[in-house]
Amino acid sequence: MTNLRRHGAALAAGLLSATIVLTACGSDDADDTGAASTQTAETSETRTVTADNGSIEVSAAPRRIVTIGNTGQPIVDLGGKPVGITEVAASTLEKLPEDQQATFAAATIVGPEGGEVDLEKVAGLTPDLILVQLPDDEFEAIEKQLETIAPTLFYGLDTEWKAFADKLAEAGNLTQNLSAQKTEFAQRVSTVQEKYGKLIDGSTFVDVSRGDWNDPGTFYIADIGCSEIARDDIGLDLPEAAAGQDPLAYESLPFEQIGKLSEYDVITYPVEADGQPTEAFAPVVETNTWKALPTVTDGKALGVFCPGNNSYGPVLQYLESLERALAKLPAQE
Amino acid sequence: MTTLTRRPVGPGAATAPGPRRRLIGLVAALVLLAALLMLSVMIGSTAIAPSVVWDALFHPSPGLDQYAIRDFRLPRTIVALVVGVALGLSGALIQAITRNPLADAGILGVHAGASFAVTLAVGLLGIRDIQAYQWFAFAGALIVTLMVLTLGSTRQGRSPVVVVLAGVCVTAVLGGAREALQLTNAEAFDAMRSWNAGSVTGRPLEVVWPILPFFAVALVLAFAVSGSLNAMALGDELAVAQGVRLGRTRVLSVIALTLLAGGATAIAGPIAFVGLMVPHVARWIVGPHQSWIFAYSMLLAPSLLLTSDILGRLVLRPGEVPVGIVTAFVGAPVLIALVRRKEASGL
Repeated sequence: MTNLRRHGAALAAGLLSATIVLTACGSDDADDTGAASTQTAETSETRTVTADNGSIEVSAAPRRIVTIGNTGQPIVDLGGKPVGITEVAASTLEKLPEDQQATFAAATIVGPEGGEVDLEKVAGLTPDLILVQLPDDEFEAIEKQLETIAPTLFYGLDTEWKAFADKLAEAGNLTQNLSAQKTEFAQRVSTVQEKYGKLIDGSTFVDVSRGDWNDPGTFYIADIGCSEIARDDIGLDLPEAAAGQDPLAYESLPFEQIGKLSEYDVITYPVEADGQPTEAFAPVVETNTWKALPTVTDGKALGVFCPGNNSYGPVLQYLESLERALAKLPAQE
Repeated sequence: MTTLTRRPVGPGAATAPGPRRRLIGLVAALVLLAALLMLSVMIGSTAIAPSVVWDALFHPSPGLDQYAIRDFRLPRTIVALVVGVALGLSGALIQAITRNPLADAGILGVHAGASFAVTLAVGLLGIRDIQAYQWFAFAGALIVTLMVLTLGSTRQGRSPVVVVLAGVCVTAVLGGAREALQLTNAEAFDAMRSWNAGSVTGRPLEVVWPILPFFAVALVLAFAVSGSLNAMALGDELAVAQGVRLGRTRVLSVIALTLLAGGATAIAGPIAFVGLMVPHVARWIVGPHQSWIFAYSMLLAPSLLLTSDILGRLVLRPGEVPVGIVTAFVGAPVLIALVRRKEASGL
């Protein structure tokens, strides 16, 4: 890099930081200023929490949280009310309870889903905590700027969902709600295992799905997301990738492979809350091959609603749906 | 007075085979295509016995394997056949009217128009069904081609070079607009990703039937202007001297190639290289005889597409690689070989 370029880069970085700091200081929203003053008094106490970017000192009771990446839904699910969020897809939002939809609607959008974060907007919200879950390289690109705005906690994409909920609840001072959710989760798992234990132990399952992103005429075997919960927590015998290999879900299978699903005793597939196959999966259900599968004709293809898999609220909805589906199996009648 | 006859001349004409050898070659191409059609129905991600394939086609009965043949392999084979014919013929037409051996329908903005229209349909209107957005693709291809022809018109008339430049510019602008739309709408980007790769799988035959009448019109137009295009290969002045009406020939050719390429793109998404390289190969074999080039292109292009599609089913079993990606891999080295044979492939 030439001296001129180096100086240019340094000047640009300096200007950006100055802009962010000035924006943060220059908020003219009277309510915000009042809230910020009160908050300063209330949140002068701090505590240290650990995230993937180290041990960070945060406000004991953060009141102005900005969520970036995948942290929005879990925080709202825990009862948090972030002031800023990165956009969540409409198809995801419509599956949430109304009160959570209202929380999302009230928050300021600081960037598109999977897109660039508007740092000026983040600074303008005068947050006291920023929670981030993004790919590592995307976080590294904005890490320094975020840290100049507010204490920032980063969690890698490989964080297991229950550990993720624990960490977010601790960071956002929302552990009371988490505790209630955990209790309900344990009870639900225990109920399903008790009622359907014999059936689960004696059957092979496969979870199939299809997304908007799949080529027409293809589907995939789901071994991540909700099926991970069915396998690891409930104990369903579901196929999974060999250790060190990419998840099965990463491979699109042609519709020709639908016939292979006859190897399994029970098939689960994605449905909406009303029990209808999801729009993306409907083409699979409409094929003659699907309709002719012995598993389908025997009533052992079960539609299951999975609104999300990275916090307790949607997982509880999934388990409730799974329990209802298992109850439909002929052996249970 | 010397009478000019519409006798094909030009590079390669002196060494071009006679009608008998051209006919034999055409029959060989037909046999090759028939063999590939059979292989396409027999080979897939699951192993199905040839007897089951036979029964599925000629003695249909319920059964998982028979459904796999009739519902998935047969439709994709028919789609590859139809799309291949259209791409091959459209490529031969665009190379003939632009007298540019490196031209394909994409340079008139056909692919860009179709892609932009599909992005609007998917991103702004939320349409996800290919049977619905194929009409956006078709209309987008037609409208953008008309736009390119209008922009390419000068006071001196419509020059192939200016038309091509207009096509390149409009393609660049629409490409940028499409990318911008997709970046602001992650769901649209996801839904568009597979269409943009170009594929013949997962298309029901209901996607193909409505486009066929347009292809039939284009086919008639293409063969109707083939004689005039032979004369135009000599240069505009000699073509006029032979009684060719340049403007009418070009307009009819562009209508035909737009219907063909627009329809093919609407069905399968943008598939590169097929329309570019197959007319070259046809020209090697038959020399500068447009009607023969058209006929060969209509047989060799679906053969290339079927070969690529079969390869795409085998390389990542049980998954598949979209045919558009395979043709790009196959096409790049073949294109290099083509440009090195300048004399044989020149126009």
